[in-house]
Amino acid sequence: MRKKTLARSLTGFWWLTLAFLYLPLAVVVLFSFNSANSAAHFAHFSLRWYHQLLGNEQIISAFWNSLVLAIVSSVIALVIGCLIGYGMYRHRHRKLGWLIVLIYLPIVLPDIVFGISEMAFFVQINRATGLLEPGLVTMIIAHVTFQIPFVALIVYSRFVGLDPTLFEAAKDLYASPFQRALHFLLPTLKPALISAFFLSFTLSIDDFVISFFTAGPESATLPIYIWGAIKKGVTPEINAIAALMIGAVALAAVISLLFNRQGRR
Amino acid sequence: MSDPTAAATAATQQAETSGADTREARPREASSIELKGLHKRFGKDTVALDGVDLTIEAGEFFTLLGPSGCGKTTLLRILAGLEAPNDGRLLIGGKDVTDTPPHRRSVNTVFQSYALFPHLSVRDNLAFGLRMRGEPAAERHRKVDEVAEFIQLGSLVERRVEQLSGGQKQRIALARALICEPDVLLLDEPLSALDAGLRSQLQVELQRLQKRLGMTFVFVTHDQDEAMVMSDRIAVLDGGIIQQVGTPNEVYEHPANAFVARFMGHDNLFAISASEDDWVDTELGRLRLDPAEQRDDQAGWLLIRPETLELDGEVPEGYNRLEGTVEERLYRGSRIEYRLSVNGRTLMAVASNLGQRMHDVGDRVTISVCPEDLVRVAA
Repeated sequence: MRKKTLARSLTGFWWLTLAFLYLPLAVVVLFSFNSANSAAHFAHFSLRWYHQLLGNEQIISAFWNSLVLAIVSSVIALVIGCLIGYGMYRHRHRKLGWLIVLIYLPIVLPDIVFGISEMAFFVQINRATGLLEPGLVTMIIAHVTFQIPFVALIVYSRFVGLDPTLFEAAKDLYASPFQRALHFLLPTLKPALISAFFLSFTLSIDDFVISFFTAGPESATLPIYIWGAIKKGVTPEINAIAALMIGAVALAAVISLLFNRQGRR
Repeated sequence: MSDPTAAATAATQQAETSGADTREARPREASSIELKGLHKRFGKDTVALDGVDLTIEAGEFFTLLGPSGCGKTTLLRILAGLEAPNDGRLLIGGKDVTDTPPHRRSVNTVFQSYALFPHLSVRDNLAFGLRMRGEPAAERHRKVDEVAEFIQLGSLVERRVEQLSGGQKQRIALARALICEPDVLLLDEPLSALDAGLRSQLQVELQRLQKRLGMTFVFVTHDQDEAMVMSDRIAVLDGGIIQQVGTPNEVYEHPANAFVARFMGHDNLFAISASEDDWVDTELGRLRLDPAEQRDDQAGWLLIRPETLELDGEVPEGYNRLEGTVEERLYRGSRIEYRLSVNGRTLMAVASNLGQRMHDVGDRVTISVCPEDLVRVAA
């Protein structure tokens, strides 16, 4: 009897947590379809704000900036992170604990510290060489740096889950180093790489703080645009952008999860 | 394959394998293996191999036998090229391959964990080596079908690796190595993960297969029964040193030292305290040996095989006579094992079950030992 009560209250707690997490999102999505210009009163269903959004050049430009930044930085982070993950696996028996900590550090470092450091760094370089004007390039570099650890760790954990003799079997079966990369490492890693790409993609789309500190006047991303627009008050247009971002990020996260699971099988 | 005779051999093989019966043995030129002064250390103070000199004949079923950590697996990995020796040379088929990387050696391995690629189908696993060597797709397809037929697993070829049972994986791993027709096939405890029944069945199959192919097999195991059943010759290793090399009956009946004797399953080893002419003094008492067993050194052990002891009837002329008590009797169906106490020492005896009267625990027995069955073993 008591067991039943406990189970029931735990289930209740689970639904409460879910509501706590997702109700605010639901409100944003709901009001993005509001025909009235109000954040308090829902009149009736309309796509009015989505239409308006498509006509706003600043938003379209911010959308493209976000997309280019996310794709380019994810691809670069994938290549570098994959090599680091493989290196971590290959040398896992050596005493490289301090190196692993260095890889983890950007994950735990507060974004604001990371962002300010990046900004200060780019300013110094810009002053000395005239290169790295704040803009899309500096943002891409900054994003790559915080994406790399995630990619490296996903790749590393995929390798750790493999039978180590597979590497030897490939050598034993006449595969040259290049053939081993092409016919063994890459196919084995494929699910992990797809998963890592979509994770990096969502991290980049999500990021506001680091983007904010490294962006230039022309390279505002969607989060930066929202932050600027919100100073004039929350408009239903903002709700529409937020709803679209929720959809895109959720999709990328689900794809990442599916491929990660497939890789573990 | 620049050698014209090798090319000719390959051509005759081709002609034969395309014949009606693909299960026919393929005569091939097997390769011998020579190991010269191999040393291998791991780190500063772990010595895995401490000067190994060994010749493995072409077409031989050769087994490396020893307890875990004896260096047998390290030796196998050096043959495969997965480990480089710190010192010494390795010759396969007369060619020095010490510095040849594994993917350029005509050597294939059946791994203990099978190491089948999980991202590939059974067919692609089987064809992997051929594909890496650049054989055309049609040829690969034909060879895979042929080898799958050969190991009687043709129906599994299109499956995924995770759909296979342990025994099936084992055979696929074997086939994946054999399909490349290597000079030498290495087997790293390939049967250790299988249950006893399947294991003894595959022991017989592997041995037949090796004879049919005439390929040089190097087999690693810690199981002395398995080694004796399958091998032409056995090398017993301990502490990175080869203790003895010989045929199964040489190693079993005339172990080179006490370690080999114990590892081959012998319990009846007794320290020799003194010896003169054909007499030795042991913990059991004074025993007469065959004159051929005379040695100059005093130290060492006397080995008495349990199956050579006679517990019934009279002691024949010239035989050693011992008096003992039955401490324990184990009925094993085809044979009966006795644990005897002689002079306060334990002596094991085994009698074939021929329907004779069994001795009971506590019985006094007279044991007769033929001098020719006593073997002196170095310390």
